[in-house]
Amino acid sequence: MAASDQLMFARQLGATARLLIWLLVGVACVVADSRYHALDSMRSGFSLLLQPVRETLRVPANVAAELGGFFTRHRLLQNERDALRAERARLWVSVNAAREISRENAELRALLQLQARPGQRVVHAALLYQGRDWFVQRMTLDRGTAAKLHSGLPVVDASGLVGQLTQVYPGTSEVTLVSSPEQLTPVFIERTGQRGLAAGSGRGQMELRYMPTHTDVRVNDRLLTSGIDRVYPAGIPVARVTRVSRSQSSPYLRVEGVPLAGLDRSRAVLVLLAEPPLIQAPSPLPPQVKQP
Amino acid sequence: MSRTQSSGSWRRILGSLTLALLLEQLPWSGWALALRPDFLLIGVLFWTLHQPARVGFGSAFLVGLLADFQNGGVFGQHAMAYVVGVYLVLFLRLRLLQFDPLRQATQLFPIFLLVQLLLLLIGWLAANPPSGLTVLLPVTSNTVMWLVLVGVLRLWHGKGMQDRA
Repeated sequence: MAASDQLMFARQLGATARLLIWLLVGVACVVADSRYHALDSMRSGFSLLLQPVRETLRVPANVAAELGGFFTRHRLLQNERDALRAERARLWVSVNAAREISRENAELRALLQLQARPGQRVVHAALLYQGRDWFVQRMTLDRGTAAKLHSGLPVVDASGLVGQLTQVYPGTSEVTLVSSPEQLTPVFIERTGQRGLAAGSGRGQMELRYMPTHTDVRVNDRLLTSGIDRVYPAGIPVARVTRVSRSQSSPYLRVEGVPLAGLDRSRAVLVLLAEPPLIQAPSPLPPQVKQP
Repeated sequence: MSRTQSSGSWRRILGSLTLALLLEQLPWSGWALALRPDFLLIGVLFWTLHQPARVGFGSAFLVGLLADFQNGGVFGQHAMAYVVGVYLVLFLRLRLLQFDPLRQATQLFPIFLLVQLLLLLIGWLAANPPSGLTVLLPVTSNTVMWLVLVGVLRLWHGKGMQDRA
């Protein structure tokens, strides 16, 4: 610490004292941010500052991908086209079946006088930046409040649920992934209909919590969102069960799974805007007219 | 403050720190992301070593706040860890300046390790338990990056790249 330009009489604090002061400031920052969320405006400012930079620096990677796609071999394309044709034929069959089912469903709903589900509005968004996933697994999308997003909205990709918006800035937003620790998702097991809570367990894995030991759950069962939380619409695929084990010490099964969405692969995702309708409790008493 | 305007001018300091920030903005993913050196930390510690009068606790704290935003962490996490790193570099400064790049990098390894461990600890207390020990991977890449940086600068400036402070 003996800088060569040190004056004979110390005019500033010693290094240790300054370290302690800055550490105090740091602790204050941590507390203000994590307990009181007082620094969100600073986050917003940083995001405004860095968004153009991030967008610019994504360009080289995009150009490389474009060039790579350009030189894809002809034979490969032909194979892919054949495969796609076959798949389209198969899909048509299921589309017809689905049409039939949805017509029937509409009739049945009408019979039961249920509310039809509102049309989902979606916002396309692209992955802008992915931070290190040491404590919370997040990624940054290139849409924000300008696209009428707000925090809490579900984010999906072609194969399943990606996560939930947790921070929204003017031009960007942050998604907390379903595999992030402590991120809870209400799900049900597709095969049996049993409801449960899926939680992220870090390292890109998930677990199904609090399942009693007699629960019927098997490897390769799919977990879909149950929709009872009014955050996620029902029926979005979330995870596939990879391991079921029983521990001596716990009254619950240990069910592990992997998320179905391409959390580390997807570059384009959809944000679902329409909120599930509020379920109105039927009023138990007819409104009484007050006597004046 | 009798100092000649030399290689460590403000323009260079700000330029190199901006470059470090830009490098962190690249779309890293997968293993590259896990192994990405902490360019901002390396920049701050480098300038603390060579220009302690200009880059010190305050700048380390500010740069740390940027790094916190960068990684989506709690504000103050990187800031505190960087400040401790700066303290250690200041403490060992005269000693570090004596060494050739390889030994200097070896001496900085424990400092980088301590900084990462602090990040781990603060993140653990403030947010969640960490997922695995990948948080320690950048320690190695930081050391290697430091070695490369100092080696290249040596070649660039000749052997006379001594500190100017």
